[in-house]
Amino acid sequence: MPRFRDLSLKHKIFLSTAGVVLLFSLSSALMARWILSGYMEQELKTRGVSIAQSIADHSIGHVLTRDRDQLVATIFDAAQLGERRHLVEYVVILDDEQNVLSHTFITPFPDDLRGVNPVQEEQDYSIRSLDKADMQVYDIAVPILEGIYQIGTVRLGLKKEHIEQVARTMNITFGGFTLAVLVVMFVLSYRISLYITRPMQKLTGMADQISRGDLELKTVNGLQPGRDEPCPAITGSYQPCWHVDRLLEAELGDRHLPGKPDYCRDCLADRDKSGDEVQQLADSFNQMVRSVKLYRKRVLESEHKYRSLFESGPVPVFVLDLETFEILDANSSAEKEYGYSRNELVGMEFTRLAPEFPEKLRTHLKQEPQDARIVYNKAIHYYRGNQPIYTNVEGRLSTYRNRDAVIVATTDITEMLEKDAQLIQASKMSDLGQLSAGVAHELNQPLNAIKMGSEFVQMMQQEGQDIPEEQLRQILGEINTQVDRATEIINNLREFGRKSDPGLEETDLNLCVQNVLTIIGQQIKLANIDLDFQPASQPVFIMAHKNRLEQVIFNLVTNARDAVMQKQAQQEPGWTGRIVIFIGISNGQAVLSVQDNGTGMPRSVVDKIFDPFFTTKEVGKGMGLGLSICYGIIQDYQGEIDIQSRENEGTTFRVFFSASDSHAQNSNPKDR
Amino acid sequence: MQKVLVIDDEKPTLSMFQLFLKAYGYSVYTAESGEKGLEIFEQEKPPLVISDIKMPGMDGIQVLGRIKEMSPHTEVIIITGHGDADLTIRAMELNATDFLHKPIEKNALQNALKRAVERLGILESSEEQIALSSINGTAIVDIQGNINASHEKRLQEIYQEINEQGKTSVLFRFNPNSSVNGTGIAVFIQILSMCRDNGQKAVITGLSENFQKFFHLVGITRMAEIYEAEDQALSRLQEQAG
Repeated sequence: MPRFRDLSLKHKIFLSTAGVVLLFSLSSALMARWILSGYMEQELKTRGVSIAQSIADHSIGHVLTRDRDQLVATIFDAAQLGERRHLVEYVVILDDEQNVLSHTFITPFPDDLRGVNPVQEEQDYSIRSLDKADMQVYDIAVPILEGIYQIGTVRLGLKKEHIEQVARTMNITFGGFTLAVLVVMFVLSYRISLYITRPMQKLTGMADQISRGDLELKTVNGLQPGRDEPCPAITGSYQPCWHVDRLLEAELGDRHLPGKPDYCRDCLADRDKSGDEVQQLADSFNQMVRSVKLYRKRVLESEHKYRSLFESGPVPVFVLDLETFEILDANSSAEKEYGYSRNELVGMEFTRLAPEFPEKLRTHLKQEPQDARIVYNKAIHYYRGNQPIYTNVEGRLSTYRNRDAVIVATTDITEMLEKDAQLIQASKMSDLGQLSAGVAHELNQPLNAIKMGSEFVQMMQQEGQDIPEEQLRQILGEINTQVDRATEIINNLREFGRKSDPGLEETDLNLCVQNVLTIIGQQIKLANIDLDFQPASQPVFIMAHKNRLEQVIFNLVTNARDAVMQKQAQQEPGWTGRIVIFIGISNGQAVLSVQDNGTGMPRSVVDKIFDPFFTTKEVGKGMGLGLSICYGIIQDYQGEIDIQSRENEGTTFRVFFSASDSHAQNSNPKDR
Repeated sequence: MQKVLVIDDEKPTLSMFQLFLKAYGYSVYTAESGEKGLEIFEQEKPPLVISDIKMPGMDGIQVLGRIKEMSPHTEVIIITGHGDADLTIRAMELNATDFLHKPIEKNALQNALKRAVERLGILESSEEQIALSSINGTAIVDIQGNINASHEKRLQEIYQEINEQGKTSVLFRFNPNSSVNGTGIAVFIQILSMCRDNGQKAVITGLSENFQKFFHLVGITRMAEIYEAEDQALSRLQEQAG
């Protein structure tokens, strides 16, 4: 037998209602019977007593006179009157000696009735139940009184059968009524249980359907959107209702929400407070289904959107397991660029394509554990066939199919880097063009000395004159020195113009500045500018390309020179232009500063100074690429550049690099 | 022994100058900067100065200006780099008498020195620097020495004379030692344009190589052709006249 709690709600409601009704009916029936039977019996007995008393009153005279005939007539009349004959079994009149004066038996007076129920003095009546084989009666004895004397006794037998008959009739009637009530209650409780449980069954069915993913359901009774329902959130299921869903609040924050349109006054979602609880539940359920539909649709759309972004994105995207770096998914750009099919990629270790990734991620997570985004540039990745390429990498921590994952997008910048290199080269060549006049002057000096020395020797030789040995040694020594000087200038130029190798090398900042100054130092001096070079007392090594670094220094110094010369043109002749180049090291950072007391720049120019093609020089004097390329080069070496400039007072460029490790320790920190 | 002062910021160049000039028999003074050079100039008063034009501190142009201020008749030869046309013209405007290009060639130096010494000779002999004559109806203008602003009047008079004589062709015959400064050039340009306006043919001959370059630089060759040899110039003039 199933336990009660396992029964369905319908049965529970029905059974408990029915049980309570049944219990109540039965108990009330029993109560009624007990109360009514007693009452009826009492009533009949009272009636019997009053009949007996009435007989006693009528028969006083006859008893006194012992008129037996009259007595018989009286008792028969009394016993046979109307309904009494069903009730009265017998009437007997006794004299004061308990002798039978008359009786209604048609047979001889049964002896066993004699003296069974005497009435005591002071008693108005006496009732005794007599159960004999031929009759069951209540014997009622009433004294016949004449004044204060008892002259006889009237005994009346009330048929128990009749009393029981009356009680039975009454019980049957009552029982029938109770039964009828019971049946009605049963039917009613059954209907109620059905009324409650049927919508619930439906809701259960719908919930099951939703669980199975089928949202194309009919709504539970009521709350059907009308044919002309104007709210797009309800009819369309593509647009969320921010008043109900509260989506927009999260998006907008404190900002003002848009006003409600007119149709919101009749909003179905607000109307659902009508009806009983079951109705309300159904309404809420419908709302819920609507919401679920909407969100499911949105999730699908969003999934579709991101899937297509992932798929059709122009850059390769990989989904990696955070622990193992196994590729979980990859898009078609990844297939195309890296040259592997998706089947090959999925399950492959990402480190095969990007060996640097785990280390970069580890470092990032150590340094900034809160930041889910990791970005680094110029990593070397390998396409199919171990073809190396340069990439920019951007990763984001995420989850993928219950696994901690990282989504990585890579951008091939190989071509861009090549273009960069070309641009740097182009700008360098443009610098060289500017240089040529100065270089010509520089080269002319040693050439002049060589030319004059050699021609002097030639002349003396042609004229057959002897050159004193001392003089000859001086001339030859000078020529030698000057050839070396010219060679150095040319070497520096060639070094400067050379295209950089991809690899970084330890480069001494002091030496770079010296090299640049051999090219333009003299020019600066010729322009009557004080040039103060304060090198660090020890070599300051940074990881860089020597000639690119020289390009940066060259640009900074020529800019300083131009700024000073520009100011020189506006000043009194006594004014002295000055450029200070300083190299130092502090806290493991190499610092190069180029300071001038030239024209300086207003804030608006400083802000734009690193923009490509921005120039303050007159047209034709520069491509405007110098500083933007310097900026790029400095960033390549993880360096920083800052500018302090005041109009008419001068400009200071400071460049910071992290000093190369192997030498930073050796350097004296006091070393400026 | 003639005194020469050489000013150049390049020590090696100075020592080479010293060798050459001593070999040529000059008494040589050298200075490594403009300031030092002027100091020596004031002390020694050399008639001939050779100065580099680009120098830190006081440059060749300033030195030239100061020297011409102190002693206008000093022969100042300036040394320029290749392609420094602007500086050359500026120096000539400031009455430099000649110029040398770096790297300096022995012959160029010799010629420049020779011309300078000859001009100094003219100055001392106070010979007539500009003279007018005539060959076969062609006016011949002989020019020697330093031609500068002081000769403007004389040149104008001579041209007037040519006009009065009704000559249709003019030969400007320069002595190889002659030097024309900026103002002299301006006067020449003025006279040559008058020749052109009056329909007179003008040619130039006898210029030193240096001054041929200079005349070309300032655009005189567009107004009058320059010939190395006198015969060539004359036949060219008669050809056109005929």
